[in-house]
Amino acid sequence: MDMNTDSGSSLRPATLPALFLTCLRIGALSFGGGLSGWLHREFVHGKKWIGEDDFASTMAIAQMLPGANVVNLVVCMGEQLRGPLGAATCLFGFLIGPFFAVIAFGAMAARIGDATAFESGLVGVAAAATGLLIVVGWHGVRRSRHWPQLVVMAAVILAVGVMEWPLLPVVALVAPISVAIAWKRRSVDAR
Amino acid sequence: MRDDVLIGLVTVFVPFSLISIGGGGSIVAGIQNEVVNTHGWLTSKEFVEIFALSRAAPGPGTMLATLIGWTVAGWTGALIASLSLFLPSSLLCYTVFRLSNAHRERPWHKTMREGLAPVGTGLIIAGVISILRVTGGSASSIGIALASAMLLLSFPRLSPLAIILAGGAVAWGLHEYGLSAL
Repeated sequence: MDMNTDSGSSLRPATLPALFLTCLRIGALSFGGGLSGWLHREFVHGKKWIGEDDFASTMAIAQMLPGANVVNLVVCMGEQLRGPLGAATCLFGFLIGPFFAVIAFGAMAARIGDATAFESGLVGVAAAATGLLIVVGWHGVRRSRHWPQLVVMAAVILAVGVMEWPLLPVVALVAPISVAIAWKRRSVDAR
Repeated sequence: MRDDVLIGLVTVFVPFSLISIGGGGSIVAGIQNEVVNTHGWLTSKEFVEIFALSRAAPGPGTMLATLIGWTVAGWTGALIASLSLFLPSSLLCYTVFRLSNAHRERPWHKTMREGLAPVGTGLIIAGVISILRVTGGSASSIGIALASAMLLLSFPRLSPLAIILAGGAVAWGLHEYGLSAL
C-alpha cells in the first residue's frame, strides 16, 4: 500500500518520534479546545505532512464515525503517514498530556472555593481557541475551486450549525451529492 | 465495592465510545444521566464543574471521562475510564480508514476525498457556530474568537497559546470590571 502520496508534491515524510512530539505538544498546549485548528496548523502548514484537501476529507470521515473528532483525526493521519505504529504513536502522544492536565485541573479546582472569575477566564480561553477553527474554515473556503463546493459548505453550515439538525443524516444526504459533483467535474476535466 | 465501580466505568463508557457520532459533544447529556442519575457517582453540580474544567483543560472535551474516573476511583479509575472511552472508537475509526485508504490511488477514492473536503470544511465552521452558542453566544466571546482568528491569519508565526491565554485574560478582565454581560 502506498501510504504517502498526494497530488501536492511538496509533502514531507514524517518520522515516528516527530509524530509523537508534535502530537504531545498539541495535546499538552491546546487549552480551551480548538484542536483541529492546532492539528491543521502543524500537520498541513507547519510540517507539511498532510495536504489541505486530505485534511478536510479526513476530517469529514473523522466526524461521521463515533469518537472524539480530533482523536479520530490523529488516528487517521497517523495511519496515513506511518501505518499502524503511526496511528498508535499519534493516539498515545496526543492523549498523554491532556490525561495528566485534566486531573491537575480537577485537583486544583477542588481547592478553589468560588470559581466564577476563574470560569469567566475559561470562557475567554475557549473563545480564543475557537479562532483556530475559524482559520481552518477560512483556508477550506479559500481553497474551493468552483462554486458548487461553496454551496455544499453553505448547506452543511446552515443545516448543522444554524438549524442544529443532527449531523449524520445531513452528511448522509449532502456527502453523496458533493461526491457526485466532484465525479462529474472530473469526467468533464478528463475530456 | 471498588471493583464494582471500575467495572461500572467500563460498562458506562464503552457503549458511549461507540455511539458518540459527531464527536464528544453528542454524548455529554447521556454521560451526565448515567453518572448522576443511574449510578449516583456525582451530584449534578459536581458534574457541571467537571464538564467546565474538561473544556478548559488542554485536549479533547471528552477528557471529561478521565476526570469522572479520577473523581470516582482515583488514578485507576482515570485510566480505566479513558481507555473505555477512547480505545473502542479509535479502533473502529482506524479499521474503517485503513480499509478505505487501501484504495487511495483509485479514481473513485480521489473523487470521494474531493467531494468530502467541502463537507469537512462546512462541519468545522458549523462546529464554530455551535461552540460559540454553548459558551453563551455573548458578544465578547464572538469578538474574542474573531480577533483570535484575525491575529492567527495576519501573524502566522504567533503562538496560538499566547493568543488563547490573552483571550482568557480579556474575558477575565471584562468579568472583573462587570462587563461580562456584554
